[in-house]
Amino acid sequence: MTAKTLLSTHDLKARYGDFQALYGVDLDIAEGEVVALIGANGAGKSTLLKSIMGLIRVGADMVRLDGRPVGGSKPHQMVADGVAIVPEGRRLFAGMSVLDNLRVAVDHAAPGRGDAWTIERIHALFPILKEKQAVPVQSLSGGQQQMVAIGRALLNQPRLLLCDEISLGLAPKVVKEIYQSIPSISANGTAIVLVEQDVGLAKSASDRLYCMLEGRMTLTGRSAELSREAIGEAYFGASHAVA
Amino acid sequence: MQWLDGLVQGVLLGGLYAQYALGMALMFGVMRVVNITHGDLMILLALVGISLASTFSLGPWSVLVVLVALGGIIGIILQRLILNRVVGADPLPSLIATFGLSIALQNAMLQVWSADTRSLPSDGLAQASFQLGPLFVGVLPVIVLITATVLTAALAATMQYTRFGRSLRAAAADVEAAAMTGIDPKAVYAGATALAVGILGFAAVFQSMRSTVSPADGAFQLIYAFEAVIIGGMGSIWGAFIGAMVLGISQSIGFRIDPGFGILAGHLVFLTILALRPQGILGKG
Repeated sequence: MTAKTLLSTHDLKARYGDFQALYGVDLDIAEGEVVALIGANGAGKSTLLKSIMGLIRVGADMVRLDGRPVGGSKPHQMVADGVAIVPEGRRLFAGMSVLDNLRVAVDHAAPGRGDAWTIERIHALFPILKEKQAVPVQSLSGGQQQMVAIGRALLNQPRLLLCDEISLGLAPKVVKEIYQSIPSISANGTAIVLVEQDVGLAKSASDRLYCMLEGRMTLTGRSAELSREAIGEAYFGASHAVA
Repeated sequence: MQWLDGLVQGVLLGGLYAQYALGMALMFGVMRVVNITHGDLMILLALVGISLASTFSLGPWSVLVVLVALGGIIGIILQRLILNRVVGADPLPSLIATFGLSIALQNAMLQVWSADTRSLPSDGLAQASFQLGPLFVGVLPVIVLITATVLTAALAATMQYTRFGRSLRAAAADVEAAAMTGIDPKAVYAGATALAVGILGFAAVFQSMRSTVSPADGAFQLIYAFEAVIIGGMGSIWGAFIGAMVLGISQSIGFRIDPGFGILAGHLVFLTILALRPQGILGKG
């Protein structure tokens, strides 16, 4: 089965002022696919997601959605086109209730995608959010906040969900609970990019895996077929792998 | 008796200040944009209203409708042309940009309308009063207070329960996260500024019916609006209303202690609250 390519990047270069963070990155993801993106701190994983999402200015042809150039679109246009993000550090709307945080996403859901995700379905996925719906988000635990962030992104009705380090700073039990939601998200036909520092977790949760090092792609392949050695070499660079 | 009268008159004065403060609560309290032209825009709307009334012999209520619509349009233009370029975590750029605009506006108004004080004919409404027990109460101030209360309730409900209100609160909490959730921050801010300046249309009509306006008066309205928002608590719509009441009552009681002490009494109460409860009456933490 070869599914249609949903989103792809082509020789994507991005910079923060004088600092170049990405040196020509190619990535593609098919409809309904789960792709993991791993790499050390500073490898450019978050920068890549931000470039796709329109938070960093890139050339129009560097990002394509359904083959259409969308690089340099504004973030809200990307959401309208069916791309949503669970941002690094969650970035919830402090001072607003759990329910209002979710409603903001419902208000601005991608049009024409029906209501595959409803607040009721998010409550079924993460029951604690129903219990805490009237509570201000900042008083939730880290794991619960991550669930709100995921729920908020899903309520944008994405075709592609970008997850930036959703396990960061959470207890292993909570990480497990959150990763258990991944299959039911992709079962809905939503493609997922998982940015992850935990290689084992990334490998087991994904169909395919990309590894980045210093702003470049160093490895790509089917997650189940990649050896630990190959990943180690791509993750740390050849010199480290030998040592 | 004169203290009871002072209290009642203070609440009525607070109704007018609340109309200055509501837009400020939206822009300064929620969006964190310091808009120094707030008072000048109200004066501009008032002067336009007075000219319209005399040119087309419009009654005050027709002028009100025109000014609220005009205020909304001015708000959108202000946001699109100037404030969108300076909005952000740092309040200094918006302060400097609008400070410059304030001076330009005042001079432009002086050029067009001269320094004369003017007022809007009120069809006798400004002089009408009724007796409430031992007190005489003006009809116009009561209308002003009722209008302010309705505006406050409507704005607070808009913020709490509507799509626009949620978008604005989200953008105020984290503008980048709001954009990542599908909100176009510039459109939301333009809507908020349109609302803020539109509300000044009400203030402009009532201020120019109740007393007089001249091009350099804006600074007073600006200070009262800032003080009301800070007394009440940043980001709280009802807080701005309560802050306006506190300011109105303080000034009114102050005037009865000594006619020269009224305005100063308001500032002193403001400073006392800033020292003892810097987050404001309804402010959190």
